[in-house]
Amino acid sequence: MAEEMGKESNRSNAFVVSARKRAFQKATKTAGEGVLFAIASFVAVMVLFIFYFVARDAIPFFQIRGFTEFFTSSNWYPADEPGEFGALAIIYGSLMVTLGSAVIAVPMGVAAAICLSDILPFSVRQYAKPVIEMLAAIPSVAFGFFALVVLAPLMQNSGGPMLMWAWWILVSPFLLLASIVGSDLLTASIKDEKRRQQLYVLFLILFGLIAVVLLFKVGSVLNSIQIITGTNALNVAIILSFMALPTIVSVSEDALQAVGRDIREGSYALGATRAETIIKTILPAASSGILAAVILGIMRALGETMVVWMASGNSSHIPEPWFNYLEAIRTLTATIAGDMGEADQVTGSARFHVLFAMGLLLLIISFISNLVSERIVVRQRKILSGQ
Amino acid sequence: MNIGTRKILDRSFTAVGIGSIITMALALMVVVVPISWNGVGAVFFTGTVEHRKMLYAEFNRGDSQDLSSEVASSERYRSKVYELLSTFEAELETMAPDKKMEYTSKYSQVKIALQALLGPPPGDTAPMLTRFKYGQTRWEKAEERLHELLYESKWDNSNPEIMGKEYFVSRAVAFEGTSLAALFPYVKYNIEKMLLPEFTFYWGFITDSSVDSHFFGGIWPEIKGTFFLALGAMLFAFPLGVIAAVYFTEYAKPGFLNSTLRSANSTLAGVPSIVFGMFGLAFFINTLKVSESKSVIAGSLTLAIMILPTIIRAAEEAILSVPKTYREASLSLGSTKWNTIPTVILPAALPGILTGGVISLGRAAGETAPIIFTAAVSVGSAIGLADVFSSPTPALSWNIYNLASEHEAAAQIRHVQYGMVLALLTIVLLLNLSAIVLRARISKKLKG
Repeated sequence: MAEEMGKESNRSNAFVVSARKRAFQKATKTAGEGVLFAIASFVAVMVLFIFYFVARDAIPFFQIRGFTEFFTSSNWYPADEPGEFGALAIIYGSLMVTLGSAVIAVPMGVAAAICLSDILPFSVRQYAKPVIEMLAAIPSVAFGFFALVVLAPLMQNSGGPMLMWAWWILVSPFLLLASIVGSDLLTASIKDEKRRQQLYVLFLILFGLIAVVLLFKVGSVLNSIQIITGTNALNVAIILSFMALPTIVSVSEDALQAVGRDIREGSYALGATRAETIIKTILPAASSGILAAVILGIMRALGETMVVWMASGNSSHIPEPWFNYLEAIRTLTATIAGDMGEADQVTGSARFHVLFAMGLLLLIISFISNLVSERIVVRQRKILSGQ
Repeated sequence: MNIGTRKILDRSFTAVGIGSIITMALALMVVVVPISWNGVGAVFFTGTVEHRKMLYAEFNRGDSQDLSSEVASSERYRSKVYELLSTFEAELETMAPDKKMEYTSKYSQVKIALQALLGPPPGDTAPMLTRFKYGQTRWEKAEERLHELLYESKWDNSNPEIMGKEYFVSRAVAFEGTSLAALFPYVKYNIEKMLLPEFTFYWGFITDSSVDSHFFGGIWPEIKGTFFLALGAMLFAFPLGVIAAVYFTEYAKPGFLNSTLRSANSTLAGVPSIVFGMFGLAFFINTLKVSESKSVIAGSLTLAIMILPTIIRAAEEAILSVPKTYREASLSLGSTKWNTIPTVILPAALPGILTGGVISLGRAAGETAPIIFTAAVSVGSAIGLADVFSSPTPALSWNIYNLASEHEAAAQIRHVQYGMVLALLTIVLLLNLSAIVLRARISKKLKG
């Protein structure tokens, strides 16, 4: 419509403006739009440049050493002569902290997003949002400093009791809930009301006892754990989960909000409680958007440098056993940051190029996951608008 | 399931949601509170006479008459200590050889601890490093050093099953029967008179350069470096970002080209920050050669590319939220589209664009990874505007890492590290807070 109006005004000016001037105006307009387009495509050019320049320095590594050693060996001795460049343990370390942070951040983030979009009244939401933004704004090096100076000594000195308290606080409500629901489900089929209630109480006491035993048994096992080093994968995973949370919350909140009001009201009209509405109708409808949020959040954790560099211990080995989060690990990003200073002086060596190979790996992972999450969001929008 | 259980499930579902929001708020508190508490301690603390000596000698600050009278009164109490030391040294000469051996090593430990507490003894030629020229400048550190002087730390490794335990042995007992035994109670009870602690407001922490790799002095070079880097990044990224946003919202036609550009934008937003650093090194320094090696300009350019997607997105949203009526009114008055954008649309969208800009500025100030290879040095003086094209700079974010992880005496300068983190957090959070306030005002205005 705006275009048409522009044409209108041009036509009326035809009486006063000469043909040459009109041509000139048209030319400047085209040139101006061209300049705008050029500037807008600067971002795309930069993306290409990033891929080109990282790949340019990464490919020589694979030419010199091939792929097998990099992906299958965990002997990382780049400074030796000749060096060994097995990055398996480092890749594993990256995956380990990323997975750990996802385990903490995804349930919390999705719950918080549901709370923000469906549960809290608007007035409270207004105050909750800035909290999330602040959490997103805290520089990564401040988180890293906190992990290294506050959390690591705390873990090292009283890691066992901390784990025990975390276990109690996190698990006891769920066990309580599980025993209530479990006894309810087990007695649901009994017709006689009095008998049903008696059995219900019996089951409740039984499950409660099991829960209490479980709580204290596991708690005392956790309590006796001695954490050798405070700079370990668990420390990093906890901090990274806080860094990934804001992304997960805000993107999945958008996805939840995109689910229309009519779906919610339909569910309430059928007599569902709020929890049932959310779990059975809203979450499935928003699931792809939430998946996109999870991917973006995980990428934030995988690409994070400062926290892992400062607080992961930087020891390049696969923990024993493989799921032991209490050991020091090393990640891709921390290796790049830590080794570039020395490797840069020997530009052209495999030691320099291997870091770019790691960068390329990170870049490719982030590129693919970005594309996937974008596709998912677009598809969800299409489906929801099509309904 | 019966109604009661369903209700309980519903309530607990709500509780989980609220609980996770509360956990996030708590996490924010848990990170921010200790940093603020300890960070304020870099500026407000109980300073000793050594701090005032240092200020006078290194920064020529303070009243020389007050200082010399203070020094004189502390010297009066300290002279007794050195007297005791020389008496003991004389006694040491007269001892049997095996006893002498035993005491000499213990005595040298005492001397080192004493020097760490009070500074070099009188008559000592001035030490090379500034950190050894003064005793403890902060009272809480002096108390730690006093403990080290009074007690010897030993490790109990008798039980191999558990980690070694630290325990302390009184040095006064170890020197029982010698003339040095009197030293320990004397120092213990007269330490305040020797160090004269008093409440200190050291505003110079913000405006001074550091002395002897951050043992003393402030963080001005880092603050200035952060400022230059972040503003430089904005200088490049803000105009580019706003123009690109204008193109995307006003001119771009849906199609393959447009969606590719948008994908590029979100790809750039997702690139890990360390990869930006590598790219800055490979492109700006090794290929374009904007500078010989690391420099502020290379760091700013790298940061600019990193924050560009954020600025574009914020500006797009701001432009899209300008009511359509504005546009139509302008066009109906005969203005061209080319004219409408800078005169009507951009001014109306300006607060929203600025919000995005302010948030990106905070992000540029706080990022570390992109500047590691392109701009940051650990030690350096404050740079001027003329140096931005040639010289690297210390920056808050990098130096926090460097002091906490790589400094040779990281544990001794925790207060400086906390102070730096607090300075960085204050800058970033203030910028974000102003963005939040700005946005709240816009939404009020749009509501009418």
